Amino acid sequence: MKRIKNHPILGETPERKVVHFTFDGKDMTGYEGEPIAAALKAAGVMVHRYTAKRHEPRGIFCAIGRCTDCVMIVNGKPNIRTCITPLEEGTDVKTQYGVSAERNQ
Amino acid sequence: MTDIQEVLNKIGPYEPAEDDHLLVCRCEEVTKGEIRKAVHEGMFTIEELRRYLRCGMGLCQGQTCGKLVKGIVARELGVAVTDVTPATSRAPMRPTEMEIAGNDGGEQA
Amino acid sequence: MRIERYDMIVIGAGPAGLSAAIEAAKCGIKPIVFDENARPGGQLFKQIHKFFGSKEHKAKMRGFNIGKELLEEAEKAGVKVVLGATVTGLFDGKEVTVRIGDTIKHVQGDSILVATGASENMVNFDGWTLPGVIGAGAAQTMMNLHHVKPGDRILMLGTGNVGLVVSYQLMQAGCEVVALVDAAPRVGGYGVHASKVARCGVPFYLSHTILRAEGDDHVTGVVIGEVGPGWKVIPGTEKHFDVDTICLAVGLSPMAQLLSMAGCQMNDTKGGYVPVIDEDGMTSIDGVFSAGDVTGIEEASSAMIEGRISGLAVAHYLGYIDDAEKQQRIEEQEKALDALRQGMFAPQNRGKKIEKTEEGIPVSENLLDKGYIADDEIARYPGVTHKKGIHPVIECTQNIPCNPCQDACKFGCISIGDNITSLPVVTEDSQCTGCGMCVASCSGQAIFLVEEDVEPGYGEVTMPYEFLPLPKKGDCGVALGRDGKVVCDAEVTKIRSAKAFDHTNLLTIKVPNDMLMKARFFKSQE
Repeated sequence: MKRIKNHPILGETPERKVVHFTFDGKDMTGYEGEPIAAALKAAGVMVHRYTAKRHEPRGIFCAIGRCTDCVMIVNGKPNIRTCITPLEEGTDVKTQYGVSAERNQ
Repeated sequence: MTDIQEVLNKIGPYEPAEDDHLLVCRCEEVTKGEIRKAVHEGMFTIEELRRYLRCGMGLCQGQTCGKLVKGIVARELGVAVTDVTPATSRAPMRPTEMEIAGNDGGEQA
Repeated sequence: MRIERYDMIVIGAGPAGLSAAIEAAKCGIKPIVFDENARPGGQLFKQIHKFFGSKEHKAKMRGFNIGKELLEEAEKAGVKVVLGATVTGLFDGKEVTVRIGDTIKHVQGDSILVATGASENMVNFDGWTLPGVIGAGAAQTMMNLHHVKPGDRILMLGTGNVGLVVSYQLMQAGCEVVALVDAAPRVGGYGVHASKVARCGVPFYLSHTILRAEGDDHVTGVVIGEVGPGWKVIPGTEKHFDVDTICLAVGLSPMAQLLSMAGCQMNDTKGGYVPVIDEDGMTSIDGVFSAGDVTGIEEASSAMIEGRISGLAVAHYLGYIDDAEKQQRIEEQEKALDALRQGMFAPQNRGKKIEKTEEGIPVSENLLDKGYIADDEIARYPGVTHKKGIHPVIECTQNIPCNPCQDACKFGCISIGDNITSLPVVTEDSQCTGCGMCVASCSGQAIFLVEEDVEPGYGEVTMPYEFLPLPKKGDCGVALGRDGKVVCDAEVTKIRSAKAFDHTNLLTIKVPNDMLMKARFFKSQE
């Protein structure tokens, strides 16, 4: 389990509202307001995108919006930094290929 | 003014190295070998390299690779890292959509 | 185009920016603070360890609690913080462009304070772009802010304070740290931080580097190797670890791009590209100030004081306080800042190998090479004394600016003296009651209580314990030595938790008398 339920210093993780979202069409759940990247990480998703030139996988790297490696297609918009974009009910998240949602580009 | 030919003579020709394939700029996918080669083609400053190879010109604007590129250039030129002219800083500091940049000031242009 | 005007624009709501805004607001200024993040406090809220220093530096408080206090102070002082506000440019005439939502606003300040902090350095190796290779900051963000484990089995690169502290935090979050690796020949961070990781059994590989990350779509393993002459890996020294995460903690660089684009005079130093500033933090541009890590990497505690100094300097610059008041108030802050810049790890000692403490005692070689003090090295330090009854054993062996242990003991057992970096001394004739306040107050978790002959042949060791699940009285297991290796069987005889201990539990174990100076950690037998 990737979620930390109880922490020796921070205590029990507060209850948060569960929301539903989709990742490449699959139904998933996460917590409202947490970064999309955190919800994906908790669900075991490692690959956020494949690069334009070498088609290599990328995922979370800096987690604070600087490195832009975790960008995905969110609600149809490419290049969204998932580590700083809050998850909402119904958010549609797609793996990004280059700057597109299509694998063959 | 740097005499480019003089520097090129001093550093000699580009020699392939076994770690040339290593990615340096994660955003624009530029390798160490490309950067090293570019130095031997006369690109001595970060600014020139950015225009020539696009390393540091991607979404993150060189936040991740800036220091790595500087190190490679310094090594190739045989100078201290602090002697390599850093990249010019320009707005916008963070990725900004053209639509928003175009509407700078909050009024429709 | 509308341009809003402010007395003072602060860029960055981290420890430096907030502190500056607070001091300025207290002088009557109405500062506005812009921060690109969703929450204020910078990196403070990811710091769950107790800070070093003295009372005035909020020592022994955990970073996130210092952050909470700072936010309360800012609110009380009337500081306005705008979040989700990304400053995209700093121009002539102290004009700032700031993106809020989908608009870019232009604002102008009579003064500007840039407190943008730092960004993480990275290193590249084969596979460094694979998902699962992350920055140490990313690990802290995920586990301490978002309550998600960054991985299950992790290798940490970097033994500076960030690498050491984050390794410990990863274990607190329930992750396994398989090794700490550093290309440098010795541990870069505080020995006490290294020791608390080493005694949990994490091996240190100094003079080692990462050769490659393995995996197709994400990290499944890592290979490290020993660094020889010319930074080349010595063939045959490769070691493989099964890991799902590789964490990089190889230093920080000031993030001074805004100052550079504004035209401030810059200085390219070994520590990064930084603005040239005067003692109050003013850059070469009149009215543009800078404070915190953006002016050179230090601790959050220093950043807060630098911020306060700059805040007062801004108040003086804008005419809110006179020369005398400025001088008097800045003097206090400078004294506090000077205290933090003392000792073996002070900015002026960076990169130097220090062989002896201020007291003239040789520094532990094992501590620098392997992260722990060897059994035959420990007795030479003044905090390590031998007595029949219960008494503290203070394994504090490097001169760092920190003294909460001295205040923690109400019975005068522990003395540091006026020099904040002196090694703590256990005084001969004072009476230890075994209250454990010193154990809980030591930010470095370097104080233990030792008592011989609690029953025939057996004594007790009390140690700080910050992991879950918390062992229970009567639990049997093994005691680990400073090197993390099993030294003997042990039984838990007491576990104490108290509000005053601030989540540091005191775990007491029973071990044979001859193991009292060796047993430093406990592992339950599963």
